[in-house]
Amino acid sequence: MITLQELTKDYGTTLAVNKLSLNVAAGEIYGFIGPNGAGKTTTIRMMGGTIAPTSGKIIIGGFDIAQNPVEAKKMIGFVPDRPFLYEKLTGMEFMRFSADLYDVDRNIFPQKAKELLQQFALWNWADELIEAYSHGMKQRLIIATALLHDPRILIIDEPMVGLDPEAVYMVKDILKELAANQTTIFVSTHTLSIAEDLCHRIGLIHKGTLLAQGSLDELKLIAKLGEARLEEVFLTIIKENTFI
Amino acid sequence: MNTLISLLRPRILSAVNSLRQGNKKNNWARIFMYSALGIVFWIGTFIIFYRVLTYFQSVQDFGNILAIKLMAMIIMTFFMLLLFSNIINCLSHLYLSHDLPLLHSLPVSSKDIFFSRWVISTFDSSWMIIAFSIPIFLSYGLIYKANFIYYVIFLTAMIFMCFAAAALGGILVLFGAMILPAGRIRTILILLGVVMVIIIVLVLRLTRPEQLVNPDSFASAVLYLTSMQTPDSPFLPTTWITDAIKAALGNETKTCVFNIALIGTFSFMLIFINNISAQIAYFTGFSKSQTTPRRLFAPLKYRGLNWENLLNFLSRESKAFAVKEIRTFFRDSSQWPQLFLMAALIAIYLYNFSVLPLDNSPIKTVYLQNLFSFLNIGLAASVLSALSARFVFPAVSMEGEAFWIIQAAPVLIKKFLWIKFFLYCIPLVILAEVLVIFSNLLLRVSPFMMVLSVITIFCLVPAVVGLATGLGAIYADFKSENQVQVVTGFGGLLFMILSFSLIAVVIILEAGPLYYIFMANLHGNSLSLMQIIWIICSFGLALALCLLSIFYTIHLGEKSLHIK
Repeated sequence: MITLQELTKDYGTTLAVNKLSLNVAAGEIYGFIGPNGAGKTTTIRMMGGTIAPTSGKIIIGGFDIAQNPVEAKKMIGFVPDRPFLYEKLTGMEFMRFSADLYDVDRNIFPQKAKELLQQFALWNWADELIEAYSHGMKQRLIIATALLHDPRILIIDEPMVGLDPEAVYMVKDILKELAANQTTIFVSTHTLSIAEDLCHRIGLIHKGTLLAQGSLDELKLIAKLGEARLEEVFLTIIKENTFI
Repeated sequence: MNTLISLLRPRILSAVNSLRQGNKKNNWARIFMYSALGIVFWIGTFIIFYRVLTYFQSVQDFGNILAIKLMAMIIMTFFMLLLFSNIINCLSHLYLSHDLPLLHSLPVSSKDIFFSRWVISTFDSSWMIIAFSIPIFLSYGLIYKANFIYYVIFLTAMIFMCFAAAALGGILVLFGAMILPAGRIRTILILLGVVMVIIIVLVLRLTRPEQLVNPDSFASAVLYLTSMQTPDSPFLPTTWITDAIKAALGNETKTCVFNIALIGTFSFMLIFINNISAQIAYFTGFSKSQTTPRRLFAPLKYRGLNWENLLNFLSRESKAFAVKEIRTFFRDSSQWPQLFLMAALIAIYLYNFSVLPLDNSPIKTVYLQNLFSFLNIGLAASVLSALSARFVFPAVSMEGEAFWIIQAAPVLIKKFLWIKFFLYCIPLVILAEVLVIFSNLLLRVSPFMMVLSVITIFCLVPAVVGLATGLGAIYADFKSENQVQVVTGFGGLLFMILSFSLIAVVIILEAGPLYYIFMANLHGNSLSLMQIIWIICSFGLALALCLLSIFYTIHLGEKSLHIK
């Protein structure tokens, strides 16, 4: 469902992503972990179509995002790490705006928006301006809006930042349910316990290069660790700079 | 003092670093362009004032009075500009800047934060006024053959005036933010906008400047002279400044020192009051400004009556963009004063045409009416150009950090830009056409001139809006805290230059053909073949230029916004 081929992003002074190649299958939750400045957000932004790669290809559901950006983006629900929104719109108005851009069925929209807003505990705030929302509420609104058009692929950067424990639990449940319904989820996170809980496969990126990927058990093998948590695996691979 | 320097350091270092880290070529181009423009404006101001004062000198008895009256008016205008600019800057620097929560979390007193911000605001508000007062007062100095002391006194007086206006602005903002309900700090801007409109309209109605050309309206020359010689109020700081500079011009040391001492002590007293007030009021006001702003007006909802339905002719995506744009624009209260000012501008514009003394003119009326009408095209386009600079140029930047939504959405950037273009183009074309048609009706111009004006404006305004949209995209600043920053940047300046150049070229291209058509009509002759070819080429070239401005600039904007 997602294919990255030799994906590279060079900012001139920094090589943020270096020849990154990976595949994510339908219904899979792929966790993308790495230390600060590893290139996670750059990769996610390239996949979401908000920045262009220096070289390499991104294939989303069979569409090259550089050649068919509109078709590719229609399949994606994108959640960035920082919840910047149109502060002068209400939550419901923002959802309608998004629904119009993603061509959500007009008849389905009101009920769907209501369900999502209720699910994310935002229904009582639906008609308030977004500028009145807290950080966590904005994050919840972005996730809710990203789900509005039933995306086949969900790309999320740091999904749990700013969320309260209840919302974290709820989001995890939603992601698992979506994956069970064949939605592909690509999630970048710092929170290793979330990656451990949630992801079918995990990719470990450091200094723009994918050092290792696989299920938790496979990563333990790569790190030559027996019974260990992802945290130890992560630190070992980063320290030893183990390549796939 | 150390704390103050530390608080000022980020601003200074940011300025230095922006020079150091930026694209060197681009920086030099900017510096060169700004310097060249500044020098041209500076020299122009000097020449105009030097000529005006030289002319005043030639008027016996009356010249000196006129020169001093002009000086008093300039100082009063500068003071009002400084006050207004300081209020706006203080609001932004003291209450709305994004870094304020960080500053308030630091172990420094709110008084120190206030003072450091006030210093920055004072500098931002004042430097340009001081810079452009120099050619004016230099011309006074040269005409009156003043000595070195005059220049020292003038500079000191100007600096004191800046301090006084800044301190006064600070005090007004401090208490304004205390009085207004929490989160409504921007309401001050709206009130200011309304006050400005009222002042402008009142000044317009009361002064009736057109009467100045009609000596009959004065009861007698003596009465006129007496009114000119009436001294200003001795309690106004602007009077002290005028008197100090006037005394320095005439080498009256005692009066000069007295007035300088007055304005100096006054400004320092205001700074003192400002600081004391800050201790009491600043943090409370800041704290209020951090709470969630309530909507100033509750949304109006009528069943079956929805303005969005008016946009049903648009495609779904286009309508979504249009609705979003209209909502965010009108809900941003910082836009409202601009709209009030725009209304005032239009009122003044039409009023000026209604009072033109066409019937008293010694020049043939038909000729004059058509000449005014032709120049009116350029004038209306220039007004629209200024409006485009304020509203259209920052439209792309207005997306702010939320621009990722557009980038991630399944919509082409090209479409996004064209929707922006049409959203602003349609109301501005209507506005410009209303301006031109009404002013032409007031001028009682010929049908040919009316048609030409309407068609020219119909082509020029979209060209200007296209330029603003395209250049706004090329020079988009999604991190800017306010739109004024975007407009006053390099891109904004470039837009103004290109826009005025386009208007000038189109007007020049039309002037020749118009003259031939007008003269042929007047003398009942027909046009020669060469003249017809020239007319077609000129109008064709003007149209081509307009189309180029729209399509090419938006294309460049689109390229620039494409993900990098």
